[in-house]
Amino acid sequence: MANGRLSEAATRCARAGHPGTLRPRMDWMADRGEDDAELVRRARAGDSAAWEKLVERLGGRVWAVARAQGLSRADADDVFQVTWMRLVTHLDSIREPQRVGAWLAVTARHESFRVLRRNGRQVPTGDDEDFEDGLQLDPPVDASVLANERQKAVWSAIATLPSHCQRLLRLLMADPPFSYEQIAELLDIRPGSIGPTRGRCLDKLRHRLAAFDDETQRTTP
Amino acid sequence: MSDIDDSNLDGLGLDDALRADLRLAGHLDEVPPETLAAAKASFLWRTIDAELAQLVEDSAEDDNVLAGVRSTGTVRMLTFQSPTLTVEVEAIEVGNRRRLVGLLVPPRVARVEVRHGRGTLTVEADELGRFSADDVAPGPVSLRCLGPAGVNAVTTDWVVV
Repeated sequence: MANGRLSEAATRCARAGHPGTLRPRMDWMADRGEDDAELVRRARAGDSAAWEKLVERLGGRVWAVARAQGLSRADADDVFQVTWMRLVTHLDSIREPQRVGAWLAVTARHESFRVLRRNGRQVPTGDDEDFEDGLQLDPPVDASVLANERQKAVWSAIATLPSHCQRLLRLLMADPPFSYEQIAELLDIRPGSIGPTRGRCLDKLRHRLAAFDDETQRTTP
Repeated sequence: MSDIDDSNLDGLGLDDALRADLRLAGHLDEVPPETLAAAKASFLWRTIDAELAQLVEDSAEDDNVLAGVRSTGTVRMLTFQSPTLTVEVEAIEVGNRRRLVGLLVPPRVARVEVRHGRGTLTVEADELGRFSADDVAPGPVSLRCLGPAGVNAVTTDWVVV
């Protein structure tokens, strides 16, 4: 398994689907944690509206994690469903409901790896920037019709970057956004080492988008 | 969404313009509405009475599978464990579908509900605890084992087969 520095305990818990002892390195999203905890408590009591709100609120992140691993939308759908079904099953055993967002992200990452392996694909390992799996994070084809030029430019710029850059950039698209610490953990790298090389990913993207801006200015009367 | 301190991301050299570009691009790949709806509906699977059998072994994780060497008809071994029951399942790829062949340990006669995203398929485990379910749709699956009267129902973790 390519768990790298994701703590062994957290991995074991995610694998066993037992979130109770999962302790992310940082207190992720403490500011919204209270609300999430309240929704978990209400869902435990059988409140389906609270459950739906939880799905709406944190679904964007679960989706981003699966897609950042290069899963197709069909496979990402499976990961999305299984992640939420696991939460349904473990709702009562979660000891830190305020960290349900972290639990979901780690579970989604683990389930994504499982699906990748089932598909016979390699799983990325933390700091290995030479790991190339031909990742191509295409946006859905049917949406491209509605896409504006800027959106298309960003996606096509990303498509030219190395796999590890694509993963990072897809996570940065998540809504609601992940914190720096979360992104480091989801990419399986130390927060200290995320800076320079990942900064280069952003520089490349910035550079390509600047070229796009120049092009647009030249062609706009 | 601005409920997070974005200065958290400064270590990446992420400026406002780039952040805005990425968020904009992200709108092209949001959670599909039907995916969101299905996850909301998954609350209906909530059972508070059953004993949970957790996934403790998955051969898809153990194998050092190299990219591109996937063979067809792959068999995947899954083991679920609860305090009273172990459920061993082979998930076999049959074309686009899955065949599940399982064993309950200790052996018991039971009704096994194969719960998948689109419904439930019920099969019987014999006196040796053996059961099998054909033509299961790929995707998330969980088994619910209902033993004779007086024995706890056992529900397994969900797993994508």
